Amino acid sequence: MLLSLQLASFFTAASLMVLGAVAVIFIDNLIKKVIALSFIADGVNLFLVTLGYREGGIVYIYLPGMSSAWFAQHASYPLPFALVLTSIVIGASTLAVMLGIIIILYQKHGTISASRVLED
Amino acid sequence: MIEYVIMIIAVLGAVLALLQRDLLKAAILTGVPGAAIAALYQILLAPDVALTQAIVGSAIIPVFFALAVYRTMRMEEE
Repeated sequence: MLLSLQLASFFTAASLMVLGAVAVIFIDNLIKKVIALSFIADGVNLFLVTLGYREGGIVYIYLPGMSSAWFAQHASYPLPFALVLTSIVIGASTLAVMLGIIIILYQKHGTISASRVLED
Repeated sequence: MIEYVIMIIAVLGAVLALLQRDLLKAAILTGVPGAAIAALYQILLAPDVALTQAIVGSAIIPVFFALAVYRTMRMEEE
């Protein structure tokens, strides 16, 4: 293949982040802005997980029969994974708060278009 | 080979979700990149992150968006 898996994964994360940033700036609808923010969060998480990937490595679970030197040479790096595991759950709850604020804005202004909310 | 297809599905699903005018369709299509990225985490040697992302990204987040669309308006206004 032309690209290695790690490089292609970096490109996927970058395109998700750029797509989300462009959509947050240029789309007027508030719910679509929040959808784009969730894509940015997905891109950042994918970037962090890709940092811990090791070409031809194994999952970081220490099984009986492995020597610790061999395990240290071949296991993927688990610290970004622990970080991302927390980040996914926190991202979902901040998303819920953003959607709640949008529902309150709709009850107050009768619209979910950002420019009309700012006009009122 | 399958991993490159999954990456293309993730980006394409994100583009399609942002292009919809019907917000309920956009909310459902949000689950496609979430599920694709969960499969990608499994390939990138992170099975615990893949389990969490499969539940949160492909089930909980689209339901949140669908509830928000139900409480506000369904079609995007001009």
